[in-house]
Amino acid sequence: MNESSGLSRRGLLAGAGAVLAGAGLAGCENTTTPIATQEGGAGEGIMGDPTAGGPVDGAGIPLARRDYPVTLPNVADPVKAGNPERGGELQIYNYADYLNPEVLQAFGKEFGVSVRVTTFQTLDEAFTKLSTGRFQFDVIFTAPDHLPRLVGRRLIRPLSLDLIPNLRKEVWPELQSPFYDVGPRYSVPYTLYTTGIGWRNDEVSLDVDELGWETLWRSQPYRGRVGVLDDSREALGMALLRRGVNNLNTEDPALLQRAAEDLIELNEIARVKVVINGYETLPAGRMWLNQVWSGDMLNAVISYLPEGTSADVLSYWFQKAGGPVFNDCMCMGVDAAKPVLAHRFMNYLLDPEVALENFVGYVGYQPPITKIDADALFAQQVLPENLRNCVVTPEDYASGNAYLALTADGRRAWDQSWAEFRNG
Amino acid sequence: MRRWGWLAAPGVAWLAAFFLVAFYAIVAVGFGNVTDLYEPVPYWNPLDWNVGYMLQALEDVLPGGRTWDVFVRTLLYIGLAIVLSLAIGYPVAYYVSRHARGRSKVVLLVLLVAPFWISYLMRMFAWTNLLDSNGYAAEALNALSIDSLFRGLGLLEGDDWLGGQPIAVILGLVYGYVPYLILPLYASLDRIDQRLIEAARDLGASRAEAFRRVVLPLSKAGTLGGIVLIALPMFGDYYTPDLMSGSPETALLGNTINNYVQGGPDKALGAALTLLLSAFLLVLMLYYLRVLRREEPAA
Repeated sequence: MNESSGLSRRGLLAGAGAVLAGAGLAGCENTTTPIATQEGGAGEGIMGDPTAGGPVDGAGIPLARRDYPVTLPNVADPVKAGNPERGGELQIYNYADYLNPEVLQAFGKEFGVSVRVTTFQTLDEAFTKLSTGRFQFDVIFTAPDHLPRLVGRRLIRPLSLDLIPNLRKEVWPELQSPFYDVGPRYSVPYTLYTTGIGWRNDEVSLDVDELGWETLWRSQPYRGRVGVLDDSREALGMALLRRGVNNLNTEDPALLQRAAEDLIELNEIARVKVVINGYETLPAGRMWLNQVWSGDMLNAVISYLPEGTSADVLSYWFQKAGGPVFNDCMCMGVDAAKPVLAHRFMNYLLDPEVALENFVGYVGYQPPITKIDADALFAQQVLPENLRNCVVTPEDYASGNAYLALTADGRRAWDQSWAEFRNG
Repeated sequence: MRRWGWLAAPGVAWLAAFFLVAFYAIVAVGFGNVTDLYEPVPYWNPLDWNVGYMLQALEDVLPGGRTWDVFVRTLLYIGLAIVLSLAIGYPVAYYVSRHARGRSKVVLLVLLVAPFWISYLMRMFAWTNLLDSNGYAAEALNALSIDSLFRGLGLLEGDDWLGGQPIAVILGLVYGYVPYLILPLYASLDRIDQRLIEAARDLGASRAEAFRRVVLPLSKAGTLGGIVLIALPMFGDYYTPDLMSGSPETALLGNTINNYVQGGPDKALGAALTLLLSAFLLVLMLYYLRVLRREEPAA
């Protein structure tokens, strides 16, 4: 497909298979349980026993922090083990371009079902639509900070881990019972990401590695070709980080107000677009400088690089200390029509071979699977060397920052600041 | 007459179910509340109504309020889109109704309806390619110096049509809705009795004068009807700015409502804003109905 970059989907998979074969030994070692993040906000939301008056979210669920793990309350019974349901459709709710169609097809073939993906643009939109209670999804993709709201609204159902053996067998140890969902009771991890800046190094001459987030506020020459993520937490969080505020879960109205004002200023400087499709527009050259998630850049190379464009023109930067490094997760809809099959689907995606095909064959987001040795993928040129920093190491993950659940007032403050920016 | 009244029953039932009930649901949400988990709680009983969100929405759209800028921008963009639509649509409708004959008229009418066969979204996606830096439309517009015209008007900056430019949104609106303007205009122009124009000419009016004093006034109702038909959906449009620009700098009121209703905690505020917009459009609608009533004896 893209001869110039020396990468093709077929080549990627062939190379990837070889990597996987030798990966058994090269698996990442067990990093210690995540340590407390060094946040500036003096530990808001991480104090003591919730029953003793600690902070809770809009549903009354204590706010999970790395040093304050939370077991989400049981709102329904997990499914009893049984044979997977056959026939009909497995209903999935996910971002667009976030699952390899070939993987879906293979799953459908193996389990005698057709897989139907309904897409959302933002997690907030997904929550709103799910809240109506009009949808019956089997598998719902989301992020950890949304889990408690989904539980609080009784929109997801506890999992039977017996039906997802790959969680214990294949997933990074630190994610087998994460602090945001101890057990885990409702979720299994799907992919890892960092949030950073993706840019066209053939068009943008700013020193992004030096400037960091400040780059966007200096992007006046690229007006109209600059974008921020259409995600209330990420865009405001970027404005906070730029000002040196590393507490991504701050609920300080003054800080959030300033973040909104900074975004509005950014809009005046660069007439930014609010988008999540940097993986498509950066390789196409439509956009030159975009806040993106790490996986977007690999997705860009794997699936969207036009013929004649080299992967070398794409660069990625993320904030090493204190920047967002986290994971997305999958859960089961409360009204899942095919609950057993839903478990099988999650288990399927955590199978190392399938996960690898999903990763390097399409989505570009790395799964937290021990047997997948990302370094080897670069060494074997399965993935382009210049985007090596798009992969999340266990060290990055352990020391990274994350957007986590907030109190009702805090969430409202974030969302209102976001609306202020969005309304131009 | 009376015994045929039942024929209206399906229409009335349809309107009741899908308009009145739905509309009242928006009213109930707009005058309702929102939980900590962002669920809107509609207050169905007017005695319970919470006017807080409505007052907030009202304060927001007044000068100096949070949505005032968006409101003004919406009026400006839609106003310009209507002017452009008329500039494009009127001559087309005039030509088809008064000058096209026989087979060519049929072909032209089919062509006018053709855009309806393709989904609005697909047509907008096509435009994002056409207006891209190397797109045909962008090159054609640049070759005709239309870009400098818009640049002079402050609607375009630089030469990147898709870089969050006001004009891209306006052109998108024009392109998307102009067929809805042409069809009613065509119908009204087509109805004008040819003999009236001949009479004007016989009485010494020049071609231009006959048009100005006969055709134009007689097509007033059709023109206004067409404008209403395109203005109403334009006020609720949010995907055209999303697709053609994507920048908050060009966000319209539809985007604001969409932002409130789809993501954030302010669903009730979104509903209240919707009601305010409806009230505003109702005023325009009443003006149209008044004109229509005055025109009727002449028609």
